[in-house]
Formats: sequence, C-alpha cells, structure tokens
Amino acid sequence: MTEQHTADPALTELDTAAEQLRAAVAKQFSRSLHIRTIDTGSCAACESELRMLSTPHYDLHRLGFFYSPAPRHADLLMVTGPALRVMDVAVAKTYAAMPEPKLVVAVGACPLGGVYPSDEFAHGSVDKILPVDVWIPGCPPSPIALLHGLLVAVHRLAEKVSTMSFAEAR
Amino acid sequence: MTLQASPPAVGGSLLAAELLRELAGFGTVREYGGTVIVHVPHARLPEAVRLALRCPGARFADLFGTDGPPLVLRTVLALDRDARYLVLQTPVESDTMPWLSDVVPAAFVEECELFEQFGLQPPEGHMLNRLMVAPVSAPHHPRLDAHEHPARDTHLPFIVEGQAFEFPVGPVRATAVESLYYGLVTSGEEVVDVYLHTWHKYRGIERRLRGQTPQQALFLVERGEGLSAASAAAAFAAAVESALGLDVPQEVRHARAVYIELERLYNHAQCAAALAQSTGLWIGQSQAELATELLLRLDAAVGGHRYLFGAVDVARSPRPPDISALRDLLPAAYAELCRVMDGLLSTNAFLDRVEATGIITPEQSAELGLVGPIARACGAPIDSRADHSASGLPLDLRPAVRDGGDCLARLLVRRAEVDQSKRLLDQLVDAPPLADCEPGPRRGWGLGVAESPRGEILAWVELDDNGRIARARIRTASARNWRAFDDAVRSQNVFTDVPIIEASFWLTVAGRVL
Amino acid sequence: MSVWFLRGIRRGIVTTRYPARPEPSTAALPTPPIFRTDLLTAELVEQLIAVCPSGALRREPTHLVYDVGACTACGRCYEIAGPAARPSGEIELSAVAREHLIKTIRIGEAGR
Repeated sequence: MTEQHTADPALTELDTAAEQLRAAVAKQFSRSLHIRTIDTGSCAACESELRMLSTPHYDLHRLGFFYSPAPRHADLLMVTGPALRVMDVAVAKTYAAMPEPKLVVAVGACPLGGVYPSDEFAHGSVDKILPVDVWIPGCPPSPIALLHGLLVAVHRLAEKVSTMSFAEAR
Repeated sequence: MTLQASPPAVGGSLLAAELLRELAGFGTVREYGGTVIVHVPHARLPEAVRLALRCPGARFADLFGTDGPPLVLRTVLALDRDARYLVLQTPVESDTMPWLSDVVPAAFVEECELFEQFGLQPPEGHMLNRLMVAPVSAPHHPRLDAHEHPARDTHLPFIVEGQAFEFPVGPVRATAVESLYYGLVTSGEEVVDVYLHTWHKYRGIERRLRGQTPQQALFLVERGEGLSAASAAAAFAAAVESALGLDVPQEVRHARAVYIELERLYNHAQCAAALAQSTGLWIGQSQAELATELLLRLDAAVGGHRYLFGAVDVARSPRPPDISALRDLLPAAYAELCRVMDGLLSTNAFLDRVEATGIITPEQSAELGLVGPIARACGAPIDSRADHSASGLPLDLRPAVRDGGDCLARLLVRRAEVDQSKRLLDQLVDAPPLADCEPGPRRGWGLGVAESPRGEILAWVELDDNGRIARARIRTASARNWRAFDDAVRSQNVFTDVPIIEASFWLTVAGRVL
Repeated sequence: MSVWFLRGIRRGIVTTRYPARPEPSTAALPTPPIFRTDLLTAELVEQLIAVCPSGALRREPTHLVYDVGACTACGRCYEIAGPAARPSGEIELSAVAREHLIKTIRIGEAGR
C-alpha cells in the first residue's frame, strides 16, 4: 500500500499516527455518512451518475450514505468538474461550512486533471484548492465505481488500484 | 430580462425563392447543399434579418463571430419549411455590433456573447447581460483570449425596490444538480422576476478546439453537454464531413440515428424523474429512475458507454451498435418508461402541479427562437429530424406537437417522443433504410445539425489547409432555450413552481455556456 | 396512490448486491487499458501518446508513464494498439493518494 518514503523513525511514527487518526475518523463515518455534492464545471454526466446512486438499482442509503442538502450537515464533499476558477469562492465557502472531521472525494476525470489543463479558466486538478481524500477515476465514473470510492473513503473497502500494475508480459 | 416585442413583419410573407432573390440585392448568394451563404454588409444586416424572417417557418438560430482580421459575423437563420439554413456573412466594420435584438429578440443572448468574446459594443443606450464571463470591476471590456479570471464572489447584489426582495439560489444548489445561480425576485410567495447567472460553468470549449484535428475535438465536443454527447458529436461530425466533402457510409448514419434516439430516451426518463421529484412524488421518481437506469444500461450494452461518449466519429462508426442487445433490452426499458410516464399523467396530484405552470406562449417561443420539446409544447412543429433530414436518413417522422406551453404540455410532448423514438429504433433495427448521400466538394467549412433530446444542435466548423480547426461553433439547444426560463417563471407562478419548471425544461447549464 | 404502491411491489427488488457480490452490469462498461510490456515499442508509445485526449500517457526514456486517474476509457488507444493493449475490466479504481493512480510501464525490448 503506501510506501515508506524514509527510514527516519520520527517521521515513520508520525505517518503511523496520521494513519491511525485517519482510520479513527473513518470509523466514525462507517455507519452513516452525509454527502454534499458540488459542481465546479462538469459536463453534467457525473451529476447524472451521482443522482443514480440514490435510485433503486444502487440505493446508497442501504450502505449508510445520505445526501445532504446543506454543507452544515455534511461529512463528505463530492466534487465534480475541473475546478473552474470562477467557482473558487463557492467551493471555499462550502468546504468551510462543513464541520470537522470532513472528507473530500474527487469524482471523475475532470477534477483528476484528465479533461482540462490548468489555465486561466480552470485549475484542472481539484487538489489545487481542496485536500482530497479519495480520487475516483472515470468519465463519468459508474455508480458502482462511485460506491467503491465512498466505501474506500470510510475504510469499509480497501483501495485496490495501488496493487494493480496495468501491465503484463505475454 | 423583459424583451421588447419585435416590430410586426412589414410587407407580408416571402417564399424562400423570393427571399433569396431579394437577398441578392445585399450581396452574393450561394447555395451549398442545404446551406445558403449570403454576404451582407455590416450596415444592412438588421434589414436582411428582418427580410429573412418574413419567410414562413424562418427562425433565428445563431449569431457568432470568427476572429480575423477582419472579424466576421455569421447570422444563422433556419428556414424550417424549406430544409435550408441561411447564413448571413458580415465582415465587421466598426467596434459596434449591428444590433439585431430590435429585429429579433432571440438575438440578444448571442449579442451578449459577441461582447464577451470579441469586445463588440452595443449601440448607444443599449445594455447587455453577463453570460459566460463573471463580472469584473475593470472598466475595460475583457476579451476572452487574454483574460485572468480571479475568484469572485458569485452573488451580484441587485437593487430590488418596493415590496419585493431577491432570494439568491446557488450557484451550489441541491444534490447532484449543476451549478447555477438564480436570483428569484419575490414578494414572498409569488415570483416577480428571476435573474439567471450561468457563468460558473464556462470552460471555453470553442476556444480550446482551435488547432485540433476533428477527431481530437470530438473528445471535448462530447463533453460540452455530456447529456447530449451523441447528438453534439453527430452535429459536429456532420459539419466536418461537409467541410471535407467526405462520403459518409450508410451504416455510419444509421449508427448515429440509433444513438441519437437512445440518448433521447434516457433524457426523457430523467426528465420524468425530475418532474416527479419536484412535485413530491417520491415513488414516481424512484420508478422513473429505475427506467432511467435500464436505459443507461441499454446504452452501455448497445453503444459501449452509458452516456454514449465515443460512439460517434467523423465518417466512421467506432462502435457499431450491438443490434441484438438493442432487440433484447429495449422493449423492457421502453415499457417501464411508458408505465411511469402514463402513471404520472394519470395522477391528479401531479397534474394539478404541472397544469398551467410555467407557461410559454407561442409568441414568446417564436420570438426567442426556441427549439425542441419546449417549442413543440407551444404548438411549433419544428424538429430538425423532419425539417432538415439531420441524419440524412428518410425517417418517417412528424414533430410531436402539443398546445398549452405549460409543464404538462412539455411532458406530453416527451411522452409522445418516447413512442416516436421506440418506433424509429424499431425501424432502424429491422430494416436499415437505404438512402445515398452524395458527398459535396471539399469546402473547408460546414454546418451540421442534430436533434438532441432538448432540440436542435447546430455545429459550424471551419478547417484550415492542414485540416485543423480554425473555428468551431457549437450551439446547443440548452443555449437556445434557457432564455425562456425567466418568461416561464414569471407567468404567475409561486416559489415552489420553479423547480417544476426547471425540471420540465430539462436543459443543462453545461450546454448553455460551452 | 395505491396504483403506485402496487406497481412498485409487483416490480420487485432491483437493487444491486454490491459490495457483497459483484455487479454483473459493469461487464459492459469501458475500462482503462492494461498494456503488454513485450509489445510496447518506442514507436507505438509515441503513437499512443499522440492519440490519447486526456494526457494520460507520457514518455520517459525507458518507460511509459500511465496516469490511470486521467484516463477516461475512451478507447482511442485500443484502436491503434492492437494486441498491445486490452481493457482491464477494472471498475473499482478509487485511490486514497493521487500517485497510486500513476503507473510506470517498461517499454519492451522489441524496438527503440
């Protein structure tokens, strides 16, 4: 999983402590989690897949996830779009309005930097403006991919992609 | 935005042939397939547009600029009854735009865009709205290609006097809906006015396409309005094929027609779900969403992607539709959708909320150049599949038209279109139509059209000598139809009607500000 | 109103069993590629980089740097890679760190 960047024992200890804190926080969310969504300039397909999460085929409620109409009640922020600069203030206000502890999930290729470059219109990658806890690739990520991302965010499922090499010999 | 009524057509109606003869008095007239290019001097453009609108079935479709020098304006008018598009080409000779809004109110939005994109000024005394670029306090008018967009607070204080106040909504709104700001001017319950600010999603796609090859450009064209990916790609591909004089094999046009109808079905299902949600019918919403999911899975099985991204390309079909999957999965998904929509249409609690809500009159529809189900719900029989043979296939289609212009009429149109799409898909599956399309010569420019779930998408493409894009213009139906939102909301509605009206429009913000 | 209730009951349960069981409908979805290291030549890598619209592929002297996070599974690389790329079939791609999505793949000895 995560690589140890250095053999320095003090830093290793800090890494472990941070990891434990993260796990404790995620455990807090493991039963029920409230989600706020924010659109920083998507094409609307990611919004559509996010809506499908609350439909009968996927029903995120059975997993303890609930959509929240306001950031004040939210534990997790799902961000779509390439972080258009014109949304900076709205994003900052939404994130600030969420109480601690809180998580951020980047949804789709746009906030991962795969659709728009960083330029005068967009940051391109959402980690320029928010600390991201989980990255969900896809264009758009399917509802199953979204559920996986949410379950990874609350430590109910393990991340798989770091063990995949996406390469094979004959 | 309250528009002045356009002056009445002077001199009676003009048939298309007569119109073209009259336009020859303005400049050269040349016809290329279904597109007529007329050169019109700057000073005479309003007069030419007024003349063109005397043709029965003529409709203002688009107005855009292409950087030069000189800057060239193109005014696109659809002659729906003659299966033609009229493009008035005007080199700009001053800093002031020709000002078409007095002739056709529909042009106002495009003139705002001309200001934002090229810095053209309106004539003395005329005001413009901000559409794509957030307001900045600098007095110098910004041009899009060299402008820094600092983060700004997205709420503009408007001074609303008397008993009314502005209730700000957005840009961050309900769960999984796009960023959009609207200021509802209300006296408490009744909505007096509404201001829409849509600049939060401007991604500059048309600018980014410059210098790309058409194949590269399709990636962003699809992602302009993701819920119209197949139709936007089809319109764009058609424009490129026209520009390059490419032969488009019948199976490619057939595949495109299939994907465009599949796209229409899932969009209409989503619209039904949104309408049920906005009227508080959670069970109806769930069932409509169930139908939506079946249709999205159908799209994945037939076209390889739930939203049909990558299904359309220039002069080829990268993913021929899986016809056996279509045969297997379409009937159940269609039946599910019909059950839900018919259920909604027979639920009194629902009908009470949608009847006489969000009314758009036929006059407003014509003046604003509306397209798609919204226009058809006002009685306008326009549909680019029928009027302009958008797919190039002889589809047996009559536009699904209803009267009333309210939310109910819009749902009824969509209900009829669901049946229509099913019939078209059955036709396409059982007997692929034989229709040859003669490719034209390589011209370097092309106009393409497709009927998205929201209405006509127009694409204009100019290619340089290396086959790369010199100018691409994508005008989605959302860009055309959002301008009617304030009129619909203003027509004697209350606060809680606004989400219903927005659901009945079923446009996207992404499509408005490509 | 009972019409809606009865219709719902008759419809039955459609909810996916995920995560307890895999969701079968995901088999039809496009997925990012897996590359064949023995078939990746320098020339093919240049072609792949040129055709990728997302900037998901980058070239280092001996490696292909492949950003799975930027990949939209558009399929353009499959069209030109032949047997050198195949769909991974992976849907569960979420990562807790951005760098977990960046893969370096050795370019094959087959050509320089």
